[in-house]
Amino acid sequence: MLQKWMKKILKFLASLKLAVVIILSLAFLIAIGTIVESKYDAIAAKKWVYDTVWMYSIMGALAVSLVAVMVDRWPWKTRHAPFVFAHIGIILLLLGSVMTLQFGIDGSLRVPVGQGNQFLVVPETDVLVYSSFDGDRYTKLEERPVDFFLHPPSPEKPVEISTYTGAIKFTGYKKYVIPKRMVTAAREPNGRRGAGLRFQIQNSNVNVVEWIVQRRAKDLATHDFGPAALHLGEAPAKGQGRNEIFFTPQVGKDSLKYVVFQKDQDRPLKSGEVKEGEMFVPGWKMPIEVRVLRYFPEAEEAWDLQERESPTPLTTSAARVEFDGKESWILLNDTLKLFTSEAVYIVTYGNRRLDLGFQVVLQNFIVDRYQGTMRAAAYKSHVSIADFGEHEISMNEPLKYKGFTIYQASFEDDPKTGQPLASVFSVNQDPGRWIKYLGSLIMSIGIILLFYFKQKAKKGNAT
Amino acid sequence: MKRLQLILVLLLSIMVFKGAFAAAGDELLKLPVQDAGRIKPYDTFSKEMLEIVHGKSKFEGRGAAEIVMTWMLSPQSWQTKKIFEVRNHEVLKALGLPAVERYFSGDEIFSSPQFGSLIQDLQSKRETKEKLTPYFQALQRLEDQLSVFREIAGGNMLRLIPPKEGTVWLSVVQFEGEQQTAFAVLTKSFIGYIGGVASHVSASELKQLASEMDSAVLAFREVARKNNPGLYSVDTKVNVEVFYNHFHPFRWAYIFYLLSSLVLLMVWSMNKITWMKAAWAFASVGFLLHTFGFVIRMYLMDRAPVTNMYETVVWMSWGALLFSAILEWIYKFRFILLAGTLGAMVSLIVADTAPAVLDPSLIPLEPVLRSNYWLTVHVMTITISYAAFFLAFVLGDIGLIYYIRGEEKHQDKIKAITTSVYRAMQIGVVFLAPGIILGGIWADYSWGRFWGWDPKETWALIALLGYLAVLHGRLGGWLKNFGMIASGVITFSLVIMAWYGVNFVLGAGLHSYGFGAGGVEYVSAFIAAHFLLVLYAWLVRKK
Repeated sequence: MLQKWMKKILKFLASLKLAVVIILSLAFLIAIGTIVESKYDAIAAKKWVYDTVWMYSIMGALAVSLVAVMVDRWPWKTRHAPFVFAHIGIILLLLGSVMTLQFGIDGSLRVPVGQGNQFLVVPETDVLVYSSFDGDRYTKLEERPVDFFLHPPSPEKPVEISTYTGAIKFTGYKKYVIPKRMVTAAREPNGRRGAGLRFQIQNSNVNVVEWIVQRRAKDLATHDFGPAALHLGEAPAKGQGRNEIFFTPQVGKDSLKYVVFQKDQDRPLKSGEVKEGEMFVPGWKMPIEVRVLRYFPEAEEAWDLQERESPTPLTTSAARVEFDGKESWILLNDTLKLFTSEAVYIVTYGNRRLDLGFQVVLQNFIVDRYQGTMRAAAYKSHVSIADFGEHEISMNEPLKYKGFTIYQASFEDDPKTGQPLASVFSVNQDPGRWIKYLGSLIMSIGIILLFYFKQKAKKGNAT
Repeated sequence: MKRLQLILVLLLSIMVFKGAFAAAGDELLKLPVQDAGRIKPYDTFSKEMLEIVHGKSKFEGRGAAEIVMTWMLSPQSWQTKKIFEVRNHEVLKALGLPAVERYFSGDEIFSSPQFGSLIQDLQSKRETKEKLTPYFQALQRLEDQLSVFREIAGGNMLRLIPPKEGTVWLSVVQFEGEQQTAFAVLTKSFIGYIGGVASHVSASELKQLASEMDSAVLAFREVARKNNPGLYSVDTKVNVEVFYNHFHPFRWAYIFYLLSSLVLLMVWSMNKITWMKAAWAFASVGFLLHTFGFVIRMYLMDRAPVTNMYETVVWMSWGALLFSAILEWIYKFRFILLAGTLGAMVSLIVADTAPAVLDPSLIPLEPVLRSNYWLTVHVMTITISYAAFFLAFVLGDIGLIYYIRGEEKHQDKIKAITTSVYRAMQIGVVFLAPGIILGGIWADYSWGRFWGWDPKETWALIALLGYLAVLHGRLGGWLKNFGMIASGVITFSLVIMAWYGVNFVLGAGLHSYGFGAGGVEYVSAFIAAHFLLVLYAWLVRKK
């Protein structure tokens, strides 16, 4: 009786009808995936279609059906060779993919020209909370993997992280926002927040309006625009060999002290005091006017978020954080500071970073361009790794080191000069690779054999 | 048979005379120009520029070489000529121009008070980095048209002399000393020549003027060569390209495919089996020309020409003909070759007549695609599988016609067609599955991931799954003859989606280097018409 049932089940699993149903549902599902990707982006397609229970179920059913049909045709004859090869090939491909998914690492590594980096950024996201009582030494309170895209927090279902002074609650999430930085005067001054300065630099060719905000009181914050730099913080006694202006907040006053340095002398060129709405001329060789548009002795930063239906290259995602009766927004891969009367907390939300265990230093980056144009024809990174030496990584010429393969993915360049700024590598570790290669080979042999045997088989039902 | 030989010889000689022999005045066409990352003959350059601005390679019956040169020599005389093609009605409405017209003069567009603000809108739209809607794409095209015209008129875009140092060639405004003089002589002889054409001087006088222009061009080339001989050794390629431009190998190929199809139709309808030889002969000549054109493109670009829609259409039709010839050779059903020649002819005609969608210009490759053995193999394998599916599609159409004409009378034909459709699909699967896998290997090798659900690769997989479902359905016995023939037609829509739809409809993903816009309405109508044909055949059969 049991055997009879087993046979029936096997017949069903091995049936062509089931196979066609599986093939068609797979085709249908991934077609939806491509439409999602075109409307949103690759991440959305992955999270909503390709990495879902639906997809895994279909893949699982496919594997079961492939195995069942091979068991069903046992013992195999020569004419079964093509179908056995093709089906084993597909099973190996599926197996390899599972291995990659389970044990593989795939991330990106951005290395600025002349610098090094050993941290790989992977797609998973974490929330980290650090705390400090004195504002200098921080200890990690919590590190928690989150997936706000699939499981967005809400006021009803918040993500809570407890601290010494109440819980930090994530109560909202926006997938696609265009952020704009807003700086305001602190609502409750506590003496620990940094100052904020909005300045304007102007002459006949330049007009720059920007904010400089100190991360906390007495920090140095800088805005560098090439020929000169503006700082908010304590001025040094001597110049550092470039055109600079230091603005220093003064306790209890609503004006700023400023000191101007010129690149060819140590002594300050000029100094004085300036208030909101006032301007002065630094007196450099280039004629320029500096105006203080806004000044807050204690500034608070916030994001003005403009929500979008679908992602663009300018959008990012943001989560709402509630703490101590106040709410603020934190952007993906950004940090947020929360103050209480006793402690400071730093919250980060962003992509997980993996330590490669070795540093990749970008010595040089070379872009070949098509003659007479700015179109890149090829690009390569000249990198060095301690204990390994120097190597050149280019498109199609990856570097293999300590189980990782480092591929040239893309590069960032200065939009104005076209000079390359950083090289972006894709780094991965794929234990399933060889299984997939083997599966591909076996499946291709099977398909070619299929054609060969079809010519021989009379009725053409080798499968 | 003798008559056939005579016809062939006659046609070939017309072709060769028309295409291959240089006439007086042709030296200007062979003048090397640096543009868009490569050296091309002035002939190609001027055609491409006129196509950008005007959408055609001729204006008022005059050739591009002449038109583009006069933009530079007397831009003011072009201000009132209706040379800018604007097709988007929304853009025309925004500019306050009549929507019934298609061509406008520079004055009409510039004098529109809204023009400046529209270009500003476009700029701010671009800053948002969102996908451009058709309206903004049309605006962007207008901006390109104006800038091309202005740059040529200003002498900045025509780069004719290799630099002493670096790689950027000198444009007309940068000429100095004898370069300037030589160019002035060239333009003077050019004006003399077109003046001669306009005032209808006698043939011998015109020839005289033409050869004067030729020698001026040659003298200028010597001056240019002197500046940097190493960079100027481009003569053979430039000459071959001019020959290619004027010979139109693919046009001749489809003419021969047409002849072959006509003969085959006669064989088919009047049962004149002896004419099969003629059909084979025409198809072979067409195929040789097709191959020849393909080889020239390969020579000009130093790569296999399978990197944009135009090139894959040409390659795909080549494969369709090849497969049909092989299957015809084995089965001798006669309509297989007909399907091949008809299919190849239609594809080549479409490729030839829609340059806006299928861009025939020779464009240097993006970095990912450069000098990569795997890429070539993977793209060629996948597109050749589309050729087999295309053959199954055309065969399916022929089968549907038999069904409409009466199933009873044509039982044997229908059976034969079903077999052919089945075989063509098998060939397709045999190429498509390894092609997709090669794509995976290439992706793994280049950027470290075997499969990333990129829309282009995903749709190729969907097409494969579609055909696998059909083949398994046939094995299971659910698809009978009509089912197979209808599937041959319907399943091809998956190939169209994978091949055209991903680039032109979905427009997302890593394969974005092949993207373009246009023709969506025609392609949708094409697919819809075939679905209706299947439905109609089904209804006829039900009765």
